[in-house]
Amino acid sequence: MSPQTSPAHNPTRHADSVFERARFSGLIRSEWVKTASLPSTVLLLIGILAAGLGGSMFLAVTLESSGVPSVASLEQTVNDVLSPMVILGQIIAGIVGVMSIGAEYSSGSIQPTLIASPRRLPVLGAKTLVVFSIVTVVGLVTAFASWTATYPFYAEHGLEARLDAPGVLVAVLGSAAYLGLCAVFGVGIGTLLRSTTIGAVIVFVVTLLGPILASVLPYGLFSRVVRVLMLGNAGDAMSRVRDAPGPFLDIWTGHISAGAGWMIALAWTALALTAGALALMKRDA
Amino acid sequence: MIRVSGLTKQYGKKAAVKGIDFTVEPGQVTGFLGPNGAGKSTTMRMMVGLDRPTAGFAEVNGRNYRDLAAPLREAGVLLDARAAHRRRTAYKHLLAVAATHGIDKRRVHEVMGITGIEPVAHKRVGGFSLGMGQRLGIATALLGDPPTIILDEPVNGLDPDGILWIRELLRRLAAEGRTVLLSSHLMSEMTQTADHLVVIGQGRILADGPLQEVVSSVTRPKVRARTREPQRLATALVELATGPGAAVSVVADGTVEIEGLSAEDVARAAAWHGIVFHELTTVEGSLEEAYLALTAHDTEYRSAAIDSQTNGATR
Repeated sequence: MSPQTSPAHNPTRHADSVFERARFSGLIRSEWVKTASLPSTVLLLIGILAAGLGGSMFLAVTLESSGVPSVASLEQTVNDVLSPMVILGQIIAGIVGVMSIGAEYSSGSIQPTLIASPRRLPVLGAKTLVVFSIVTVVGLVTAFASWTATYPFYAEHGLEARLDAPGVLVAVLGSAAYLGLCAVFGVGIGTLLRSTTIGAVIVFVVTLLGPILASVLPYGLFSRVVRVLMLGNAGDAMSRVRDAPGPFLDIWTGHISAGAGWMIALAWTALALTAGALALMKRDA
Repeated sequence: MIRVSGLTKQYGKKAAVKGIDFTVEPGQVTGFLGPNGAGKSTTMRMMVGLDRPTAGFAEVNGRNYRDLAAPLREAGVLLDARAAHRRRTAYKHLLAVAATHGIDKRRVHEVMGITGIEPVAHKRVGGFSLGMGQRLGIATALLGDPPTIILDEPVNGLDPDGILWIRELLRRLAAEGRTVLLSSHLMSEMTQTADHLVVIGQGRILADGPLQEVVSSVTRPKVRARTREPQRLATALVELATGPGAAVSVVADGTVEIEGLSAEDVARAAAWHGIVFHELTTVEGSLEEAYLALTAHDTEYRSAAIDSQTNGATR
């Protein structure tokens, strides 16, 4: 027994190997190390903050030059504060999710990952949890930073959206959670496709391009349903405060309540994640 | 200990591995040898649960790899030296793998010390040479201080110092009672490192046994004689060398090579004819010869395919 290769080696090791079993908490720590040690992921997360804060500041600073609304609208103000983060952040968040698994396949590091955790599903679980948490926290920080930074500009004209006004806090939390769900959607899609590029394209289509295309489709049941079901529109609904209450979901007017938005976004996420999980379990790595 | 039984891998209609059985015993280095596409990597991937066997099974320390409670504590695996994210540092790569089994930073530093990558620990893996990548892969394999070690082509890209280092490392790991399986196409390396051989070709086991046994079962020792009268000696020996596979030939530098006769036969004949040697040696078959003999079927198959192609082209 050479001390050089195995200082901890002792013949009784196997007897107490039950104390050394791989735990889920270890996988979480591993995924955290992986995410935090990639410069590209860190840059993308900073991108969410920059896009959200920058976009909302731009709208706040140009409030006067673009015409101050004569009637105070909570919906309008909250939308101006949160939508820059939601619109740009949803793509970035999705790409963060896609990359978290796509990069493992493109670099080949999926091999040591699955060798360390051959049951595979826990890896996907840990990745999902870590990516969702990080992105949601970044979303929360961005949303609150945007709100804080722009508050004085709106307050000047009596247009401010106070956090205790009905629906505002829900919209702020909803916008952050939506980014987290986009990231999880990305994890599922990335696992299914094993490609960062194609995964990123799909994220772009369902979050941004899809809603735009669906809105120019000829008016009909099909185009209405497609429009309501787009992930991007669900995100819009989750981060919106309604001046006038509407139905839970109206396909013909395209009205999606926050609750319906949550459900649609969760459905997309669950679908992508399930497809990814099935592919991961079934395929050869 | 690794046990493979009836292991089969089918890709569509093509079988990469065709129901192979073998056991890799602890306390020795087992070499896994075969031409490209023979099924070595596929077999190793099935051992550690990356690929699912079409039939049969592979067990590591008595269990299916996927059922091990702490796989890194049971088996250390290196299948691809490039299997790390290029933008991540070596240290972070090791740390991420170690974290899955609650292995602490001290052990991460230890394995970096063992493999000599400490100086480049905080450099991105993308800038590593293939040799450095191999060392990182071996460091990863050693993290859990496992009793079983599985390495696919670990000497690829290593410089002579590195090859010597890994040879000593593997011998030491085997001497510690661990199970060591390594694949390589470098025959000389296998001869110096492996105790036991498993040779695979076209998805089937061609030979499985102690290195010397495998070599001597398919090769025959040669007798090499040096004399000032090679032609006379050759003529004298041709009469004697009548058994199956017997052959006498004069090699370029005047050495006579004899197959099918013992050194004693050769010496007697020389004495009878009054021929003086200045050297007489018995040369055992080399692993390379054994390997070529064992995999001859594959080679024949390939040359035949090429022949028919060229014939078709000239017609």
